Amino acid sequence: MEDQIAVKIDDLTVAYDYKPVLWDIDLAIPEGVLMAIVGPNGAGKSTLIKAILDILKPIAGSVEIYGKPYKKNRALVAYVPQKGSVDWDFPTTALDVVMMGTYGSLGWIKRPGQKEKKAALEALEKVGMLSFKSRQISQLSGGQQQRIFLARALVQNASIYFMDEPFQGVDATTEKAIINILKELRKAGKTVVVVHHDLQTVPEYFDWVTFLNVKKIATGPVKDIFNDDNLTKTYGINYKVAITQ
Amino acid sequence: MNSAQIEIQLIASLVAIACAIPGTFLVLRKMALITDAISHSILPGIVIGFFITHDLSSPLLILLATASGVLTVVLVEFIQKTGLVKEDTAIGLVFPALFSIGIILISKNASDVHLDIDAVLLGELAFAPFDRITVGTTDLGPKSLWIIGSILITTLLLLIAFFKELKVSTFDKGLAASLGFSPAIIHYGLMTVSSVTTVGAFDAVGAILVIALMIAPAATAYLLTQDLKKMLLLATLFGITGAILGYWSAHLLDASISGSITTVLGIVFLLVYLFAKNKGLISVLYRQKQQQKEVLLLTFLLHLHNHSDEEEERKVAHLNDHINWQKVKSRTVLSLALKNNMITIDNQIIALTDKGKTFTEEAINYIITNKDTEIEKMKDRFFLFRG
Repeated sequence: MEDQIAVKIDDLTVAYDYKPVLWDIDLAIPEGVLMAIVGPNGAGKSTLIKAILDILKPIAGSVEIYGKPYKKNRALVAYVPQKGSVDWDFPTTALDVVMMGTYGSLGWIKRPGQKEKKAALEALEKVGMLSFKSRQISQLSGGQQQRIFLARALVQNASIYFMDEPFQGVDATTEKAIINILKELRKAGKTVVVVHHDLQTVPEYFDWVTFLNVKKIATGPVKDIFNDDNLTKTYGINYKVAITQ
Repeated sequence: MNSAQIEIQLIASLVAIACAIPGTFLVLRKMALITDAISHSILPGIVIGFFITHDLSSPLLILLATASGVLTVVLVEFIQKTGLVKEDTAIGLVFPALFSIGIILISKNASDVHLDIDAVLLGELAFAPFDRITVGTTDLGPKSLWIIGSILITTLLLLIAFFKELKVSTFDKGLAASLGFSPAIIHYGLMTVSSVTTVGAFDAVGAILVIALMIAPAATAYLLTQDLKKMLLLATLFGITGAILGYWSAHLLDASISGSITTVLGIVFLLVYLFAKNKGLISVLYRQKQQQKEVLLLTFLLHLHNHSDEEEERKVAHLNDHINWQKVKSRTVLSLALKNNMITIDNQIIALTDKGKTFTEEAINYIITNKDTEIEKMKDRFFLFRG
């Protein structure tokens, strides 16, 4: 499948305090894949997503979203940060958090209106959280909070979805619900990129995988490259321990 | 009330509102300490501005002082970015340095300028009505009223225009950045507003007490609401309450106005901290107590459930030995279970009622499956599952 390339990364290097966390990454993500980014802790998985989304400034390299810099094609991209990256005691409701997904298309100053609210309610329904719309976000369970984040990305109605560990700390039911939604997105022709921890579920959930450990180890279809060789290269000799963790 | 009294209360209230708005966002961003830093480190800006203009309310002075406030934030972040020290240490390094430059400048030139440290640190609201703006023979009111009024109007306009941006970047910096709302611009915008407000307010309430007006009302409001707009509104109301009540306490006690305002703000916070419906201390302690009781009750019911066909295990007297509880505890749990119709005691032998049985099974089921859907039903009835 020689599809269009959704995300193209060339020679990307990101450093924190002169210490490279991502080194010379070349990566092309084809349109319409459901891709896992896997690698050990500190491999730079979240950093890669943040660099693609212009949240971190790389010291070298470039990122293109459908052939244009991120700034030009921002509207095509939705982002689900790690659940732990925000303060869930923030005074707001589930519906309001989902509404935040519409802010990008509104731009500066303009306020969300009925149209945005309707879209947010629909997204809440899709993730099975409509009855929680007025619930204060600290009163939601970990799984529910993750669903809210997913709904917020859905409301962006993007072409590419980046998700940073969406299965972290969620119950089994939520995990199933989330993966079903991701598979639906792929069916609709969207590209979904997920930072993933659980190696065991990679073949079941994803059709594309990127092995990352500061450098890119391999990228391609799960059925072709998800093997002992690449796992060893990424995780070291004890990758089987990593799998069962 | 004479007109000076009204003017003082008006100025104090406007200062309170102007402080509560940026204060709310600073509290939510966990940056309360930065107001402390800003309020101190505007001093060199004020002093240099005063040397040039000889006027504490000249625009140049406000500009310079604001610049030194923003400089504090830049320096703190610069030091923090080296990774050698944490943010609180960086703040602790920067503002005393800038503050002491201000102090040295004042003391070196104390003989020929009329600017003393007390006035800068503590302000004197009582004198505000004396410094007036007059055009020809028309009296336009106190100068501070005009200064703080313009700052407040600017703040309000910015808040209305950028409410959405402030909210999203405060809640989720990463998302804000990915949506194209530069968190850095919003951060420095907020820091500039905080600095301008501090400068505008220092003349009236003093640089130090600005901190109280920024943080206390917002912190109090935070305990009471789970809605950002309501939090802003409540913070404003608490600020005004502090300003008016503080003024009258000062009047009665013949004490410093700004000191009294701060004291009132502190007392209001304390009361809310104790009595707030959900986050208040009393309510939290009560909830913890209930949760403890419910854990015990559940343990007890589980025991009964596990031994439903062994009478020996269900004797009242055996509870103390088997579950290893003190008599008082056993009695509390027994009466709680009885009160809720979960058990019956027949001839010193305890048995689960149907209600008790259903409840126990639901609880076990929830604990084992840990499914979100289960917890919602339990939450309504028990504190235990409300977190």
